[in-house]
Amino acid sequence: MPRSSRLLRIAVLGYVGALVALPLFFVFQQVFSHGLSTLATALTNHEMDKALWLTLRVALVAVPLNVAFGVGVSLWIVRHPSKLTHVIDTLIDVPLAVSPIVIGLSLELAYAQNGWFGRPFAAWGLHLMFNYWAIVLASVYVSLPLVSRQVIPLLREVGTHQEQTAQTLGAGHIRVFFTVTMRSITWATAYGVSLTLARVIGEYGAVLIVSGNIGYVTETLTLNIGNNFENFTPYQGFVGAGLLAVSSIFVLLVLGLARHRERLRHEYRP
Amino acid sequence: MSIVLSNITKHFGADLVLDDVSDEIPSGSMTALLGPSGSGKSTLLRIIAGLEPLDGGRVQLHGRDVTTVAARHRQIGFCFQDYAPFNQMTVFDNVAYGLKVRHVPAAQRRREIDELLGLVRLNDFADRYPRHLSGGQRQRMALARALAIKPEVLLLDEPFAALDAQVGGELRVWVKSLQRELGITTILVTHNQSEAMEVADRLVILHEGRIEQVGPPEQVYDKPATDFVHSFLGPLTTWEGESYRPHDLQVGPEGSGLDARIVDVIRLGFEVRVVVERGEVTTWVQLTHHEARQFNPMVGSIVAVRPR
Amino acid sequence: MHPPRERWVHRRASIWTGRSARGLALTYFSLVVLIPIVALITHAFSHGAGAWWSALTQRESLSALRLTIACAAGAALVNTVAGTATAWVLVRDRFIGQSVVNALIDLPFALPTVVAGVTFYTLYGPHSPFHLNVTGTWIGITVAITFVTLPFNVRAVQPLLESRTFHAEAAAATLGASSGRVFRTITLPALAPAILTGTGLAFARALGEYGSVVFISNNLPYRTEVASSYVYSLATSGQVDAAAAVSTGLLVLALTVLASVNIATRRLARSQ
Repeated sequence: MPRSSRLLRIAVLGYVGALVALPLFFVFQQVFSHGLSTLATALTNHEMDKALWLTLRVALVAVPLNVAFGVGVSLWIVRHPSKLTHVIDTLIDVPLAVSPIVIGLSLELAYAQNGWFGRPFAAWGLHLMFNYWAIVLASVYVSLPLVSRQVIPLLREVGTHQEQTAQTLGAGHIRVFFTVTMRSITWATAYGVSLTLARVIGEYGAVLIVSGNIGYVTETLTLNIGNNFENFTPYQGFVGAGLLAVSSIFVLLVLGLARHRERLRHEYRP
Repeated sequence: MSIVLSNITKHFGADLVLDDVSDEIPSGSMTALLGPSGSGKSTLLRIIAGLEPLDGGRVQLHGRDVTTVAARHRQIGFCFQDYAPFNQMTVFDNVAYGLKVRHVPAAQRRREIDELLGLVRLNDFADRYPRHLSGGQRQRMALARALAIKPEVLLLDEPFAALDAQVGGELRVWVKSLQRELGITTILVTHNQSEAMEVADRLVILHEGRIEQVGPPEQVYDKPATDFVHSFLGPLTTWEGESYRPHDLQVGPEGSGLDARIVDVIRLGFEVRVVVERGEVTTWVQLTHHEARQFNPMVGSIVAVRPR
Repeated sequence: MHPPRERWVHRRASIWTGRSARGLALTYFSLVVLIPIVALITHAFSHGAGAWWSALTQRESLSALRLTIACAAGAALVNTVAGTATAWVLVRDRFIGQSVVNALIDLPFALPTVVAGVTFYTLYGPHSPFHLNVTGTWIGITVAITFVTLPFNVRAVQPLLESRTFHAEAAAATLGASSGRVFRTITLPALAPAILTGTGLAFARALGEYGSVVFISNNLPYRTEVASSYVYSLATSGQVDAAAAVSTGLLVLALTVLASVNIATRRLARSQ
């Protein structure tokens, strides 16, 4: 093993360790730093529990919405390309380039009571700002392209021959979709879904603006963490952070598994 | 199950891909759609399958007009050039697919699949995934999958193109005997004329979207209807202003015909090509291995060339 | 010869389902992304282009933009080198725990920005266990951005190292090139488009970063206030149009970066 390679390895591991592993480790260190009974009390903190519940409720709606959109739009862009799909393909990546604060601001400008669409919507009894639906909207916005970015290249690679074969074997469109199409993009979709979930439960800046940050009502877990730090109760914040860190680790596991299965797909190509 | 194609026309954008194509394919035959790339043969196959809409004309399967019928209701078996395996399913499940669609009960399904896998000699691979199979094995799986639904017509799109010479050769022999045994009307698309002549009992030569000639292999080869067919089906060489097949010329001792000088002798094992030059014209003559042994052509010597 | 006048029996139903699904997708997309962007732009220019420009060029705005661009560029530069090196070690080296490290790289994608933000604040702030206090400095901001953008650089380069460059490198080695030379003349040029893409994405992301930066920066106006914090302060103090103006500036900047990277990458890839 040449010395330069080992040096490089040590340098890289040191860098990744200090930059990435250390913060993660530190979160858990903080969580357990005050003993288990304090931890138990913090976990049952009413405000944080409401925030956690809100975050989960948002994810329950936002994630399936975006997955359905992501898969659908990917199929459209790849299988029925047109000038319109080309435009959509370009625009769909916009949420990745926009600051969450800007996202939150633009949503507020559009849908607040005195906003463009907010006014007519309010007249119909539809309120989309400073409430649960505002948070869902913001979550959907920030995670919009995450599924399609994974699925589109895969759909292009897989091609239509499998689907057409299934048709000749007698399958109708719905059966073809579920037994052939979806199965060929399963792991890419899983990858996208994990990223979407992580983004939805982890969004801060956009939700900060559109929710109004009303404690117990429109305060998500991320807002709760931020609020705890602003109000000088950092330990409570770290307990919330610990919960989110645990979910992040699950997400990492799924991502790793999806990447591994995708790699398997490419082996044994005689 | 005979197939009748009437006046089929197809455009891709501004390009006319199929121009008034008509043919009647007899039941139980093995027909090869033969032509160069871009001749429209794959498109025609897909139109027969119902995977591609046509702009004009009719397709009839055994008297029934299926022009507006979707692929899933045509009871045809289709094999793509890339075999299109369902990568996420085992070989067994691949073959089972069409049977599951038809709600064949599990026990009967298992029986039929085992029989089919035996037919294609893939019994030992039933629980493997397509990515563990070689090209030839995947092709056999694709065939078993198509045959499972007891199709009335079998359509094969360049089935041997991606296989190496030996595997492809063996598979060709096997597919031909299988087709004879099962008697299913089969159409095979290929750009390889020797493959078409080896496997099919009927050739349909396509060129730029039009049928140039239809007939059994020897007839099309010996009596080409157009210049295109003549040049496409076999090598052509010119001698004294006329076109000949190289095997229709022969060489003899100097003085017994028009003289030419040998510039090269290429031994291909079964055939020997003698390249000769007369003035400005270079031509080649095909001799059998036996003839070459007897005559012993040498580079530089003068020989006479004449038609057989 | 009759062109078939009827459509296919089963295609009729699926054509209409297809059309309504597309309409639904378009409505969804408009509601979520397009309409808000239009509202943003309208508010930004609601008092004319002059007002837009002056909002964008306020001293505080310029200072925030300068700081954000500088920190983003600094972080991007560090990660261009570190990210490529990390990708190399993950692909070409073999050691225990390699898959764990590989999985860890995605942590900044998976971890909420606010968690990173409060953690960095605690690690490198007034209560730092290392007695390293960089709050209220550009250093703290840059470190946070470096964390958030590392995966972009690593993941952009990794797939190429896994498949494409390997054979070319082997060929160069058989021709007698040292490993350093191979890297410089074969690997790096082949990776250049991917490195550029990764850096571009990282930079565009860093321009708008908020959650991970807002705590450690302390938001001192003119000193450590990043662009997104400035927009937030404008928005919450009722200067909504000014906030929209600066937002559109940020948006244009990010999109320009992405577009130029796109073009540059394509040109690079073509010349190979």
